[in-house]
Amino acid sequence: MREKALSILVLVMLGTVSAQKVTIPIPIGVSVAQTSNVALLGREQVIGAQIAEQFFNSQGGINGTPFKLYFEDTSGDEAGAINAFQTQINRNKVVAIIGPTLSQQAFAADKIAVEAKVPVIGPSNTAKGIPQIGDFVTRVSAPVAIVAPYAVKAALKLDPNIKKVAVMYAQNDAFSTSETGTFQDTVKAQGLEITTVQKFQTTDTDFTTQVTAALGTKPDLIIISGLAADGGNLVKQLRLAGFKGLLIGGNGLNTANVFPVCQQYCDGVIIAQAYSPTAPGSLNAAFRTVYKNTYKREPSQFTAQAFAGVQVVVTALRALDKQKKLDQWDLPELRVALMKQILSGRYNTPLGPISFGPDRDIIQESNYVAQIKMDADGKNGKFEFLK
Amino acid sequence: MDLLLQSLVNGLSIGSVYAIFALGYTLVFSILGIINFAHGAVFTLGAYFTYFLIGGQNNGTGLLAGAQLPFGLPFPVAIILGGALAGLVSVGLERVAFRPLRARGADPLLALVSSLGAGLVIVNLVQYLIGAEILSYPTNVYGHWAEQHPSLNLGTASFPIQIRTVQVIIFGVSLVILLALLYLINRTKMGKAMQAVAENPTTASLLGVSTDRVILFTFLLSGLLAGISGTLVATSFSISGPYFGLAYGLKGLAVIVLGGLGDIGGAVLGGFVLGLAEALVPGEYTAYKDAVAFLLLFLILMLRPQGLLGRRLIQKV
Amino acid sequence: MEAFFQTYGFLLVYMCLQALLGLSTYLPLMAGQLSLASSGFYAIGGYVAAILSTQVFHTSGAYPIGYLLLETLLAGLLSGVVAVVVGIPALRLRGIYLALATIAMVEILRVVSLNLSITGGAVGIFGIAQPFSSPLGYMWLVGPLLLLVMFFAYRLEGSRIGRAFIALREDELAADAMGINPTYHKVLAFALGAMLAGVVGAISAHFLNTWNARQGTFDVSIAVLAYVLIGGSRSFAGPVLGGMVLTALPEVLRPLKDLRFIVDGLLLMLAAIYLPQGLANPNWLARRKTAPVREKT
Repeated sequence: MREKALSILVLVMLGTVSAQKVTIPIPIGVSVAQTSNVALLGREQVIGAQIAEQFFNSQGGINGTPFKLYFEDTSGDEAGAINAFQTQINRNKVVAIIGPTLSQQAFAADKIAVEAKVPVIGPSNTAKGIPQIGDFVTRVSAPVAIVAPYAVKAALKLDPNIKKVAVMYAQNDAFSTSETGTFQDTVKAQGLEITTVQKFQTTDTDFTTQVTAALGTKPDLIIISGLAADGGNLVKQLRLAGFKGLLIGGNGLNTANVFPVCQQYCDGVIIAQAYSPTAPGSLNAAFRTVYKNTYKREPSQFTAQAFAGVQVVVTALRALDKQKKLDQWDLPELRVALMKQILSGRYNTPLGPISFGPDRDIIQESNYVAQIKMDADGKNGKFEFLK
Repeated sequence: MDLLLQSLVNGLSIGSVYAIFALGYTLVFSILGIINFAHGAVFTLGAYFTYFLIGGQNNGTGLLAGAQLPFGLPFPVAIILGGALAGLVSVGLERVAFRPLRARGADPLLALVSSLGAGLVIVNLVQYLIGAEILSYPTNVYGHWAEQHPSLNLGTASFPIQIRTVQVIIFGVSLVILLALLYLINRTKMGKAMQAVAENPTTASLLGVSTDRVILFTFLLSGLLAGISGTLVATSFSISGPYFGLAYGLKGLAVIVLGGLGDIGGAVLGGFVLGLAEALVPGEYTAYKDAVAFLLLFLILMLRPQGLLGRRLIQKV
Repeated sequence: MEAFFQTYGFLLVYMCLQALLGLSTYLPLMAGQLSLASSGFYAIGGYVAAILSTQVFHTSGAYPIGYLLLETLLAGLLSGVVAVVVGIPALRLRGIYLALATIAMVEILRVVSLNLSITGGAVGIFGIAQPFSSPLGYMWLVGPLLLLVMFFAYRLEGSRIGRAFIALREDELAADAMGINPTYHKVLAFALGAMLAGVVGAISAHFLNTWNARQGTFDVSIAVLAYVLIGGSRSFAGPVLGGMVLTALPEVLRPLKDLRFIVDGLLLMLAAIYLPQGLANPNWLARRKTAPVREKT
């Protein structure tokens, strides 16, 4: 009897020192920029993740086991992202992390997750070299290289007489600087002439210097790579300075946040989209309805990508749970298996079907080109499908 | 030639934005010899106040998502009231962040830190309550005519010189504000008292000027100017979020030094000089536009440290 | 305990690096020079290390410490040279004017680094080789460096040169009359701070694994100035303490979620108002006081 009690005691003690079990509800980390001047993007991502949390938990979570999202703010800088990741990994003991918002932050923080062998899904990191940070890094944000050419072709279809193209981009934004490279290559490949390349900063509001310089070259088409506030102001100022030709807005302008900025002048802007609110699929329809009911506008790409990030993790966890109940796994073991499972799956997300290549980068099958149509009062608008 | 004229017009229009931002900034410096790092936040607040006073709805996802006042004031009333509210916030800041330091005769640099903290609080509070989203004024705030004519051609049909109507309005209003300010400072009793305190607080108080009242009034005026100019700029570019005004903070510093620290006319001149310098950057080099402002600042400091209009070196800090 | 170091290993080293940045602003301030250029030299140092380690020194496996030390040396030297070139004309300016001239330098450097191809534009330089296997490993380098610099600053405060610095801070005219060469000592103090900032930048580039134009900005300049002022600008302990406390604060406040930066700002304000001497109050450091602390009136 005493021996049995002793052996139980030993077993209990061994249990506490051996590797940690996964806690229930299953913790999944979301670390994006909830503060700082990047928060406009971060807030959209938080909303997307929250919608996904509710949606999939109401479906029974992970085969009956609920999961919980842990939000740890990265703020806008690299050190903040690393601190948030450390908290997720070591304190919240998450199985995977969705984040951070900026590519520059990803280059700093993802390495921490790679060392700790924790899967990371970049929701909006589009720079070259993100999956190459390490074995545990992937992303649901397509590098812009795929979308941009379609937008240029769509513009040429609308106006075959386009010859001269002016290109403008936000030089302090990683996303925009890589996107503009693709745009410029496409323009040249189409045999068009680039008349000028104008640079600005995402924090700028007045673009008259760049607008005057660009319009001085008499372009037929202007391509803008920037974010919502600066891109919207630029569109407005180009129109008010008398530009009548076609405008292409990059991926950063793919958000309803541009509507209040350029108001009626947004009308007609062609947008390269990695996500379209009007894309087919029942999941997108459900996601769009929840979003529209709460926020009275169309969900943005950043929101959809964060949703897709959570969805990928949840789907992969469901598959693992079928192999062995999640509460039986040791945490480090689950993290490693989860990364493998994530990369091997195919997911029907609001972004369309996605999977991951051997280089761990996203393979996104559907890309969209839309044109903005504003309401008569110029207050709200929608993205109308072109392709 | 038309390109040069267009650039000049551009420069004047953005210059007037820099100028009105800098006015309130330089006012506080002239009296206290300190730089109020919360000025950009008050500027932002003014734009938010007016937005809600005209009955705007919160598009943001903060705590007060979807909130709206039960009434909407006409824009001219709202902008003055919004400015007045910003003025009150500014007075509050003076009480909380500046006065305790002054009372102790602390290092003036500490005021820089306490105002930095105050600015951080305001910006994050706005983010918490309103959200990070962009808010825009309706296009009709300047009346029907301006809405129908959003841009004007100052040139001819073949040589167009385009300018946005909003920019013309901002230009006009900032000139009016400047004249009113010059009148107030040079012709009224309070203005004379302000000058006296700026010159020498101790002598001024010996002469019966209530230093505390002057300082309070200065902060009220600085906040009012910030609030009104924040609104004006927002009607042109939208409120891009809680960091809206902070983007001007750094340029604002350059402006007030260019013109001469603490000099009202200097702030306006500095604004126009900076605006013109940026507008005249050739098309191939616009990437360096932001560096131009600071190169100019550096050169001016080397050649004429007292600024363009400054008469003497102020050594308050 | 182990979990604590795992979670906060990065933060602890980062606190030390920020303390060193605080010291780099404190050194010119010792001679009365309000320079906000530290973040600019920090940026230069970071780029030196990032470019050398990704494009010049090709290694496999753990990055040799020797290379890292060589980078810090070069980063420090380059920063020092730039400091002398900029400092000789700029240090004729005083107070807020000097602060603004140095901010101008920082901003010009930022725009230039956005536009050069060698600095990687907005994306910057990433995948910088790692000499240590964990963030906490950097403590082997940063810890001794901090102690060394603190010891140097301590000795400096009591040395002939240090006393000349302090004399310049208290009254430049009088110091000049006493035969202290103002230009020489000001440029020396400025260059010492710049070299330190360059060294810190070089280490930080490895530590963060990436370097870009967002690292050396106006915001960083102001944050570092706050370290010195909140910590206390009258002894080397001030910037060290201020840098550590202000860096840790947002992480300590993390449980407050959305409210953390509101409270962070409030604490900054309260500290400025209620701790006018700084966290490192010279009164309780009185025993090693080298210069009489004069209350400003």
